Amino acid sequence: MSPHSNRVVELRIPSELGYEKIAREAVATVAHRLNFSREKIEDIKTAISEACTNAIRYGSGSDARMKVVVILTADEDKLDILIKDPGASGLPPVGIDIPDISGMVEGKHRLGGMGLYIIRELVDEAGFVEPTDGHEGNQFRMVIYRVDGDDNEPEVSASGIDNGGTPK
Amino acid sequence: MSDDIQVLVRGEEKATVIDLVGDVTTFAEEAINQAYQTASANGAQNIIFNFRENDYINSAGIAILIGVVTEARKRDQKLLMTGLSAHFQKIFRMVGLTQYADLHPSVDDALASLNGGR
Repeated sequence: MSPHSNRVVELRIPSELGYEKIAREAVATVAHRLNFSREKIEDIKTAISEACTNAIRYGSGSDARMKVVVILTADEDKLDILIKDPGASGLPPVGIDIPDISGMVEGKHRLGGMGLYIIRELVDEAGFVEPTDGHEGNQFRMVIYRVDGDDNEPEVSASGIDNGGTPK
Repeated sequence: MSDDIQVLVRGEEKATVIDLVGDVTTFAEEAINQAYQTASANGAQNIIFNFRENDYINSAGIAILIGVVTEARKRDQKLLMTGLSAHFQKIFRMVGLTQYADLHPSVDDALASLNGGR
């Protein structure tokens, strides 16, 4: 991809769980062409999977007749991702909570609710935005910036486990 | 558009290994829970969830694993997880799952840890 190009890829996927994998593969291709590092590409794939899953499950009630629109805009220094859903569940959440896994394990909280938190941790900017194009529904935007050295990171491997010092 | 996952339960000397081959998403819930119940019914005290490095795991899949953690704590079972890519090791740490399950590169490493090695 030439340095000053601006490329837009637009996908319309059925609102059915499993189809988020199409967005996942598409964004990986775009991010690869932008020379993001391997690990950053994995982060972006996970973030877009979570965002599309939310759009399918909550934004359109897993109704496959509806569509989730994914717009990937790639330019010199960043990848901008916009995900539109029909807003079937009403207004999106206002904040992003840190998941309370101990509360889930103890049965105090329902399992789940981790997607937005994971997204926020993996990308540079993330959040619901006001539609500017007359779209009726939710729009979720994520931005990932390229930084110097992104394309110079070594490959990651499964070795070198760090359990965070807090094993059971 | 459901995704197939193969879940196999096999016994090792010190642990029961649950091999997960395929995507760990909401579609895997029944298969994973069934495998865990099978392992528990066979008296497993140490259970190793063995992932395939390049498979897709999402937050719904992680929630299924947290459900397993909940059950395992009630039964005083030890959970170990192996085969995760560096990316998903990071995600598991991020959500706090590593407080409840030790991560190891491979099944052999996990088994060795149960023997007091590595």
